[in-house]
Amino acid sequence: MKTVLEPLLRFKNASLGYGSTAVLHGVNFEAAPGSFIGILGHNGAGKSTVLKTLLGLIPALKGEFHARGTHFGKPRYGYVPQKEKLDAIYPLTAYEVAAMGTYRGLELMARLRGLGHKDLIRRSLKQCGALELSDKRYSDLSGGQRQRVLIARALAAEPELLVLDEPLAGIDVTTQSALLKLFETLKEQKDLTVLMVSHRIQREKDLFSHVAWVGDGKVESGPTAEMLSAGKIMKIFEAEL
Amino acid sequence: MTGILKLFEPSFLLHHAFYGSLVVGFVVPLVGVYFLLRRLVFWGVALPQVSAAGISAAFMLQGLGLNLIAGGEAGERHLAIIGSVVFTIGAIMLLTYMEHKGGVPEGRVGALYAVAASLAILFMVFNPAGEAEMLSLLKGEIVTISESDFHSMLNVFAVITLAMFLFQREFTLVSYDRDMAVTLGRSVLVWDGLLYLVVGVTISLGVMTVGPLVTFGFLVIPAIAALPWARGMTSFSLIASLCGGLSAFAGFYISYTRDMPLGPVIVCVACAVLVLSSLMDLLLRRKPH
Repeated sequence: MKTVLEPLLRFKNASLGYGSTAVLHGVNFEAAPGSFIGILGHNGAGKSTVLKTLLGLIPALKGEFHARGTHFGKPRYGYVPQKEKLDAIYPLTAYEVAAMGTYRGLELMARLRGLGHKDLIRRSLKQCGALELSDKRYSDLSGGQRQRVLIARALAAEPELLVLDEPLAGIDVTTQSALLKLFETLKEQKDLTVLMVSHRIQREKDLFSHVAWVGDGKVESGPTAEMLSAGKIMKIFEAEL
Repeated sequence: MTGILKLFEPSFLLHHAFYGSLVVGFVVPLVGVYFLLRRLVFWGVALPQVSAAGISAAFMLQGLGLNLIAGGEAGERHLAIIGSVVFTIGAIMLLTYMEHKGGVPEGRVGALYAVAASLAILFMVFNPAGEAEMLSLLKGEIVTISESDFHSMLNVFAVITLAMFLFQREFTLVSYDRDMAVTLGRSVLVWDGLLYLVVGVTISLGVMTVGPLVTFGFLVIPAIAALPWARGMTSFSLIASLCGGLSAFAGFYISYTRDMPLGPVIVCVACAVLVLSSLMDLLLRRKPH
């Protein structure tokens, strides 16, 4: 008999937005363990609103939003923000940025004894091909290198759910291919559930098991084959036009 | 050389002022690095002035006959510290609250500076007898402070230093990437609150020790001078602290030997360190691009 696993995230007839203004209505969408979900849509469609709600940064205005996991009942998130969101004035090294993934608890005694999560941080950096960048200033790195360090930071959080916000934006084609390969490897090796926000589908679509289209005030989700069929894409673009 | 050694002698008449300046020079930049990184440099201008208004308000209460704390001059000083801390933390809370309301943040900080500077003068009208002492406090002349008060002040600065290094991870995380902090289950409100509390106490004690001008100087200048040479937050804090401490030491020595006003000399020395740092950065570094 096949075991049906509870989804890590579930939106049920939810309204999402800011303050009292709902941007998206009637959102029904869930993330099953082990799935790789592409959250797609044009700029300004509301992808960031979905992302912020599922990360717990803003509450759902109406309806239900449930998240389950091993960190006080919530999933252990590994969050990779858009690299431009992080201020380049900070003189942090790549190692320090990656280490932030381990700052989940206070661990005062370990800190006073000079103990940390060095092995985990180094392993995460190595897995992302960024170990040799450890001592460099993060703000001095190229776009692709920064993205690798941010992915290492997310891995250092030992996540159940990896959330990637436009990870391929502003990165050259060669590095894009390398990063896509990395996402695929990580998902397989670590049995992660992955959500990737993107406004493009060309290079990423082969990774997705499911797709959620965000636009026109609503979210439509389903298996990739169905959601990226020629008819569906045509319908979505007609609605946008 | 003999002149320098004399500064360290316990019998040196101005040893409170000397050690006070040194400690403020080393400690205030530890807080100042967050002002620079959070792009709150204008807060650094306004908050010392708000702190001064708090001191002035405490003197006004004394002048109005509201002797809230007994103990003569020591009581006055304690009330001044309380006034300074209350005003500074109140202003930080107000600025933080207003930040969420949009508008022009620089305009608000500018208005706060103007109001605080005016109130600091107006409050003194109600206590003409305390005006001279108030002025000496604002100039940061702590010659008359008692030995026990001086040691209490040093202890508070020691606690601030410990907090800045012990909680560096949290202060950096909530300053650098608030969303990440939330996803890790850390409370941005709690850590921001603790950082602002430390900022408030540091500025208040800094103003009581060396005055608003030098406190502002130490909040901003050493951090800017240290930034090009920092590799990581610990090295950033240490280099900034070293720049501040050395500026205070050199400034005090020049001021004492040349009979010049202490505060402006310290700020000018700190600025000289900044110019030197910027020139070295221009000459020695190749910007990666």
